[in-house]
Amino acid sequence: MRYETVTDVIGNTPLVRIDAAVHGLRNIDLYAKMELFNPFGSVKDRAAWNMVRDRLPGAAERGETVVELSSGNTAKALAVIAGMHGLPFRSVTNRMKVPEIKDLLLLLGAQIDELPGRSECLDPADTDDPLTRMYRTVSAAGGGYLHTDQYFNPRNVEAHARGTGPEIIADLDGRAPDYFIACVGTAGSSSGVARVLRGHDPAVTVVGLVAEKSDFIPGIRDIDEVHEVGLFDPEVYDTIEAISSAEAIDGLLTLVRRCGTLAGPTGGGAYQGAVRYLRGVDAELTERRTAVFIVCDRVESYMSYLRERRPELFAQAARPQSVRSLTTDDLAAARTIGVGDAQEWIDKEVPLVVDLRSPFAYRALHIDGSINIVDDLFGEMLHGGLPFGRRQPVLLVCPVGEKSAQYAALLTRMGHPDVRSLQGGVIAWRDAGAELVRD
Amino acid sequence: MAPYLQPRVEDDLRSLLDEHALLHQLVDGLGSPLNLVLPDRLVRNVAAFRAVHRKHHLGGGVWFAHKANRSHALVRALAATDAGIDVASLGELQHALAAGFAPERIMATGPKSPEFLWLAARTGAVVNADSTVELADLAGIVAAHGLPPVRVLARLSGFASTGTNVLTRTSRFGIAAGDLTGLWETLEKHAGQLDFLGVAYHLDTVGLPEKAIALEGCLHAMDEAHQRGLRPRAVDVGGGFGVNYLADARQWEAWTSELTGAVLGRRPPITWNEHGYGLRNEGGTVRGALSVYPAHRSVAGPDYLDRLLSTPSAVHRRPLGTLLLDSLYDLHTEPGRALLDQCGATALRVEEVRGDLVRLAGNGGDVALEQHGVLMDPILVPRTRTEQAVDPSGFFLLGNLCLEADLLTRRKVFLPQPPRPGDLLVFVNTAGYLMDFSAGDALMQPTARTVAVSRGGGGWRWRLDEQYWPVTGREGTA
Repeated sequence: MRYETVTDVIGNTPLVRIDAAVHGLRNIDLYAKMELFNPFGSVKDRAAWNMVRDRLPGAAERGETVVELSSGNTAKALAVIAGMHGLPFRSVTNRMKVPEIKDLLLLLGAQIDELPGRSECLDPADTDDPLTRMYRTVSAAGGGYLHTDQYFNPRNVEAHARGTGPEIIADLDGRAPDYFIACVGTAGSSSGVARVLRGHDPAVTVVGLVAEKSDFIPGIRDIDEVHEVGLFDPEVYDTIEAISSAEAIDGLLTLVRRCGTLAGPTGGGAYQGAVRYLRGVDAELTERRTAVFIVCDRVESYMSYLRERRPELFAQAARPQSVRSLTTDDLAAARTIGVGDAQEWIDKEVPLVVDLRSPFAYRALHIDGSINIVDDLFGEMLHGGLPFGRRQPVLLVCPVGEKSAQYAALLTRMGHPDVRSLQGGVIAWRDAGAELVRD
Repeated sequence: MAPYLQPRVEDDLRSLLDEHALLHQLVDGLGSPLNLVLPDRLVRNVAAFRAVHRKHHLGGGVWFAHKANRSHALVRALAATDAGIDVASLGELQHALAAGFAPERIMATGPKSPEFLWLAARTGAVVNADSTVELADLAGIVAAHGLPPVRVLARLSGFASTGTNVLTRTSRFGIAAGDLTGLWETLEKHAGQLDFLGVAYHLDTVGLPEKAIALEGCLHAMDEAHQRGLRPRAVDVGGGFGVNYLADARQWEAWTSELTGAVLGRRPPITWNEHGYGLRNEGGTVRGALSVYPAHRSVAGPDYLDRLLSTPSAVHRRPLGTLLLDSLYDLHTEPGRALLDQCGATALRVEEVRGDLVRLAGNGGDVALEQHGVLMDPILVPRTRTEQAVDPSGFFLLGNLCLEADLLTRRKVFLPQPPRPGDLLVFVNTAGYLMDFSAGDALMQPTARTVAVSRGGGGWRWRLDEQYWPVTGREGTA
C-alpha cells in the first residue's frame, strides 16, 4: 500500500478475534480493535492528528508551539506530528511516570515541563491546581500556543466517532457488537465509539474501565480523576468498573504470550476487564454475542513499569562473579588492613590502590597514587575475570570499608592472593590525618 | 458506610487515650482546651532518623525544627539526646540555649534580625544563611565584635533539572543555585569570619523528584566550591519528610471520592456549607486541586529520607546517599512534623450537642487542622462509660468563638456514637504544627495549657509543660 504521508496511515486498524481457548467464554466472540497498529503506536494517533490537522496551516509562520497536558501517547503522537510540521512541542505533566516514554519524548525533541508536587506547609489560600495555572499561561500569552486540550476538545471524540466506531461496525459486517469495553483516559475513544455504536443499535452495552484509586495504570484515570475530564459523561457508560494494575498486567501477559498481540498495560487492562465482565454475562446466555475491546498501545515502552511490579518476569540467572553471590565464609576470608599498616604497605610494596567511589568524589579528594574505578563498573569488570595479575598486590578503598571488603572477598575467591580492603575506608584515612590529595 | 477518617495512633499515645479518668481529671483541673505532649516518643523518633543515617553510613545531625512546636518539655527532652535544634527566631534561640542545647547543636535558620545573628554568632551556633547579604552582615558582626569564626551553611534554591524541566514553586528563601559566583566571593572575602560548612536546601513540597534535583544541585555546588579551593564538608537537606496521619489508606481514597461526588452534587454534602477544599464544580466537571495535606502517606518520616538517599542521581546514575558518602560529606536534616509524629494530642470538652452540631470549649486556633489541611476524626472520650449501641453519625464541630467561621474543621467528622456535654473529643497527633501554632486570645477565650506525660511507676506521670525537665531527682539513689 502506498501513502503520500505517514499521517494517512492513521486509523483503519484491524479487528482481530481472540481465541476462545484463551478467554474461555462459551457464547461470546471477543474481538480486539488493534489500535497499536497506528503509525506512532497508539490509539492517541487518531485524536492527536484530528485535533491539530486543521490548525497546522500557517502555525509555523505564526511561531506557534504545540502544547498538551500529557505524559504518554498523546504527547508522543503530537511530538511526531509537530516535528513533521516544523513546530516545537511542549508537554506539561504532573509526573513522567514511565521513563521509556520520557526518553522517547526527549528523543523526539519535546520539551517536558513537570509540575511541582504539593506544598508540604499547606497554603489554604492556594486552591489553584497546576492545570488551571497552565491554562492561564496558555491563554494569557495571547497566542503563540497551539493548545490541543485533549481532555476538553470535542475533536478528540470526533476522531473516534468518524473513524474507530464506523470501522468496528464495518468489520462486523454492518452490525454493532453487543458489548463494547474500553478504558477511560480522556474518554475520547470510549465516548466516540459508544456514540456511533449506540446510534447503530441502542441495545449496545458500554463498559468503562477506570483504575483503582491509588493504583497506576498508564493512560487510565481513576474514578475521581475521570470527573476532571471535560469529555467524560457518566451517561455514556452502562457500567463503570475499576481494574487494578495487577489485573492489567495479567491481561497484558495473556495478550503478549498467547494472542500474538504485543499490547501495553492499558490494552491488558481492557482485555482483563472485558473478560471479567463478560464471564458474568456469558453464563446466562443462550445465543451468540459479540464483544469488542480496544488494544491501545504497545508493550515495549513499559519495561520499567513491568519490572517494578513483576520483577520475577525478568529473573535472570545470577552471574557467577558478583558480590551478591558471596557467602559469609567468603566475607570472613577477605583481608582488611588498618590505616597505619596500609600507609606502610603502600610505601613498601606499592600495591595498586583502587578507589571505588564516584569520580565526582574522587576528583575532590583521594589517596595519592590511587586509581578510580567506581564500584558498579568494577563489578562489571569482574564478571569477565581478574582485571590485574596475581603478582600485583591490590588495596581496595571505599568510603567506610564495606564495599571494598566485599570486593576484596570476591577477588580472593577468584584466586587473587594479595588483595586487601582499607578498614574504615577513606573516612578512617581522613580521620587519622593521613594525606588526601586533589588534582 | 460513613466516610470515617480514623487517625493512626500508636503505642504510648494509644494507651494514654485509654486512660479516660486521667484525661477527664486533667481537663477538669487545667481547663479545655488542653495539650498533651509525649517527650519520650520524640526521643524514639530521633533514633529512627539516626538509623537512616547509619544505614547509609552517613555522619551529620538530625536538627529538630523548633517552629513546629513551642513546648518546653519537648525541647528539653530533645536536649537530653544527641539531636540538634533548628531555631528560626531570637526567642527560639534563647529557648534552645535555656533548655540545655550547647551552641554546637543549634542551627539558626529563617529570616534573621541583627540581634538574632549576634546571639547566634556570640554563642557559636551554626548560621544557615538565606542570602549573600546575610553572610556579609554576619561577617560584619563577627569582625566588629571580635568573635571567633562562625560555622555557616548557605541555603540554595532554584535548582536546574536535567532532561525534563521540573517546575518548582518560586521560593522567597535561598541563593539562586544557577550562579554561585557571588556566594564564593563573599565566603572568600570573609574567610576569617565565616567557616563554610556546606550548602543547604529546604523545599516546600512533598515531591521527591524535586528534592532529588535539589540534593544533586547541592552536590554540584559542593564540587564547585572545592574547585575554588573552599573546603565545605556537609549538605543540609532540610525537612519536609511528612507524617502519615491516617490508619487506613482506603479511608482516604473513599473520603476524597465522596468529596468529589459531593462537589458534583451526586451525594449529600460532607462539609460545612458544601466547602470543596479547593475543588469546584464547573459545568459538571471538577476543577481545582484538593487543597488538604495528603492524610495518608505510604512513605513518610525516616522512610522518606531513606527513599531520597536511595534515589539515583540523574547525572551520576548512583544513589544520592552513596554520592554523599563517596565525598565524605556529612548529612544534616531538619525534620519538624516528622520528628513530632505521635508526640501529642489536644483535648477539648463538649459543651453542647444540637442535632449534628457539636460545640466545643476551644476553637479552630487551638487545633490548627484547617490551616494544615489535616482532617482526622477526633477520639471520643465519654465522661461516664455507658453501654451504648454503636451508632456512627456525622457531626460538625463548632468552636467557642463568636464567629460564623469558627469550626474546628469544615469536614463532617464521624464518631462511633453521639457525644454528650462533658465528654472529651481528643485530636491526636497534633504536636507537629497543629497544636497551638495558630492559637490566640483575640476574643479572650482561654488558650490551652500544655501537659507533659510520660510513663513512670507503673502508670502515667504528668507535669505542667514548664515544670518538665528530663531529670527525676532520684538518679543518685538508682
